[in-house]
Amino acid sequence: MRSIYLIARRDYLGYVQAWGFWVGIILTPLLMSIGMMAPGWAAASQPTRYYTVIEQGTAFSEVLKTAIDSDRVQAARMSLDPVGLMNGEPNARVERFDAAIEGGASIDEALGEAGGSEITVPQSDFVQVEPPVRTEDAIRPYLMGEKLVETADGPQPLFAAIFVPEGDGEIEYWSENVTSQSLLSKVRSAERTLAERRVFAEAGVSPSLLKQAEARTREITERRARPASSTTGSQVTMADRAPFIAAVFMAFLLWFLVFSVVNYLLMGTIEERSNKIFDSLLTSVKLTHMLSGKLLAVLAVALTLMGVWALGAGAFGALFAEKMPPDIRENLFMVAGAVLKPGLLVPAILSFVLGYLMYGAVFLALGSLCDTIQEAQTLMTPLIVMLMVPMFMIIVAISDAESPILAVMSWIPFFTPFLLILRVPTGPALWEVTGLLALMVISTLLVLWIAARVYRAGAVHGAGVGDVGKWFSRLVPGKKE
Amino acid sequence: MPATTVPLELRDVTKRFGFFTAVRDLSLSVPQGGIVGFLGPNGAGKSTSLRMALGVMSPDEGEVSLFGAPPNIKSLQRVGFLPEERGLYKKMSPRAIISYFARLKGMSAKASRQRADELLEMMGLSDFAFSRVSKLSKGMAQKVQILAALAHQPDFLILDEPFSGLDPVNQQGLEDLIIDEHKRGATILFSTHVMEHAERLCDSIVMMARGRKVFDGTLDEAYGALGRAALIGVEDGFDLNAAITPKGFGEAEKLADVWRVSLPPGRDAQDALRAAIEAGAPITSFRPEDARLRDVFVSLVSEAEAADLHQTLAAGPKPEAA
Repeated sequence: MRSIYLIARRDYLGYVQAWGFWVGIILTPLLMSIGMMAPGWAAASQPTRYYTVIEQGTAFSEVLKTAIDSDRVQAARMSLDPVGLMNGEPNARVERFDAAIEGGASIDEALGEAGGSEITVPQSDFVQVEPPVRTEDAIRPYLMGEKLVETADGPQPLFAAIFVPEGDGEIEYWSENVTSQSLLSKVRSAERTLAERRVFAEAGVSPSLLKQAEARTREITERRARPASSTTGSQVTMADRAPFIAAVFMAFLLWFLVFSVVNYLLMGTIEERSNKIFDSLLTSVKLTHMLSGKLLAVLAVALTLMGVWALGAGAFGALFAEKMPPDIRENLFMVAGAVLKPGLLVPAILSFVLGYLMYGAVFLALGSLCDTIQEAQTLMTPLIVMLMVPMFMIIVAISDAESPILAVMSWIPFFTPFLLILRVPTGPALWEVTGLLALMVISTLLVLWIAARVYRAGAVHGAGVGDVGKWFSRLVPGKKE
Repeated sequence: MPATTVPLELRDVTKRFGFFTAVRDLSLSVPQGGIVGFLGPNGAGKSTSLRMALGVMSPDEGEVSLFGAPPNIKSLQRVGFLPEERGLYKKMSPRAIISYFARLKGMSAKASRQRADELLEMMGLSDFAFSRVSKLSKGMAQKVQILAALAHQPDFLILDEPFSGLDPVNQQGLEDLIIDEHKRGATILFSTHVMEHAERLCDSIVMMARGRKVFDGTLDEAYGALGRAALIGVEDGFDLNAAITPKGFGEAEKLADVWRVSLPPGRDAQDALRAAIEAGAPITSFRPEDARLRDVFVSLVSEAEAADLHQTLAAGPKPEAA
């Protein structure tokens, strides 16, 4: 045990004393936060674009404006009670807001009436302007930026012009930007609404009757037979969704840690092989102790990473918890609580340890066969591709945790550690959980055994990447070395 | 474990790599307190034999006994090993490396650091104790590795080509270090293909060629294996062979300007000179042939290689693989 400790200690200190390790620890959450917020920033930073509608009257313009504002209305509505709306709970403020919008109030006015005026709703991306000219030929210079239209913000280039003819003629959408489809989809949506109105009008149905029909839409309450919270009865609430969110979070964390720390094993072993240290070590410690020490060292590195991030998250939470809306805070606690429940935590810890050992042993064995990083890359590519599969499965689980593909793929040993975590909240049968755990244990032991043999071949006998090629070529029937 | 146990014994050890036999039927014994030279040309099987001796790899046939038992972590703690392929952790300091390997061999943290400081001081490397190994010269790094091998004061020191890569000054330093370790009581086995080191240091030698042991004995026995001779110069026209052979000496061979007279057992160079004078030889020069280990080595290795070639040819062409 002493030699395992000494090997692990040396390797661990070697990793954590490198400045790159700490740069990684700080930069990783920072870059991930930036990555998560980037779409929001991109949307917020999108410039206001000006469009014009050339039509007789204002019918199309009004419907289009409503369609454009619908996202903002939804965002403002959500801001009033995010958790309640997600759980389908009634809320008086939301009802006041809806009534105000229905009555023709602007978003700010409706928010004011609902008591949510402190929330800043982002400005609309598209603003309608009066048509500077009314023919297609005349509008071209405006669309090409040769001429500017008058707006409340001063002269601006025209983003799009929509020609709406009288009767059943074709609507023409003119714009030089062929990649941004947002406004075009709003135009389509507006035309759909108008078409419905025309059809109903032709059938003698008045618009007020339509509104009545919409107003009489019954609420749909989501319920389940095994509710997570007894206080809300069978109604589905955040408490029911929290285990799924927690499972996705933990599966992603496992994937991310495996993906980032097993590289340490690979690099460390390549360094030892290229520096020819194996013989000195093997005359001091048993090979199995050496492997154990190395795996333990990188496991400690992973725990250090998690520990530092957990402390950072705790400190961040303590600093900003007061400023966080109570509902959001409550949700976060609910997800954190779901993580700590033994039903999820125990399989997650087992999956993490076994998954780490499985992938760690493979990378360790690969490292023992390679003298350089370039050599390692040739062997790593298929592994990296394989490691991407659980990532795709996490995406599948986000939309449907009970997808049959998750159930099938979870029986492939290299994916089991990740997919078992994702499946636990769906309540798989006991035999299935036990079977998957047993499969993980057996396959991890098998991988460790094979990895130890490969490691011995690399460390003791100097086997290299070429030998792997020869080994595979021997598997091809009729092929000579 | 009794102190008199033979540190290392190999019995009929064979090691194959595929179709290639790296070591065949090797038996050797390293006596307690001796300095044994393990000699042989490149590829003779020396490093493979040493790795088997240390349990790094297992023999296909035969037995290895290290301190009376198959190599294990307990017996290896009494061994210091310098591998042929030198290597250190480049980001660690010499002090940390020496201490690390000493701790792996069972020393306490405090004692290992003290020992590292002593050794670095002794080798004049104190100023570099905390430098990264990557900043050291090749010679310095090699010294650090040697120090790491002997930091825990092993009973048995195995050095695989310890002199390679060292300049003459450092080679002398290493010879002194080996002598010091021997005086301390350590048994030493070192491999080399530089005969001068073996001549200066060893009590006995084991020679390898083509994976086989071709000699095992003391230095005197090695010199004897080549056959001793006297070199006698005579005036032109005198046939020393005809004059001296009837007096019980082996055949005299005419070289460029001297005759080489083979000495049978029990007769020395002085006897040959006396016999030549008695035979009336007009002597111009005389010197006993100065046998060198290098000559013994070349002779034995050549014989082994010739025998190997002969065996290969006798076996005929290999049947083609199906």
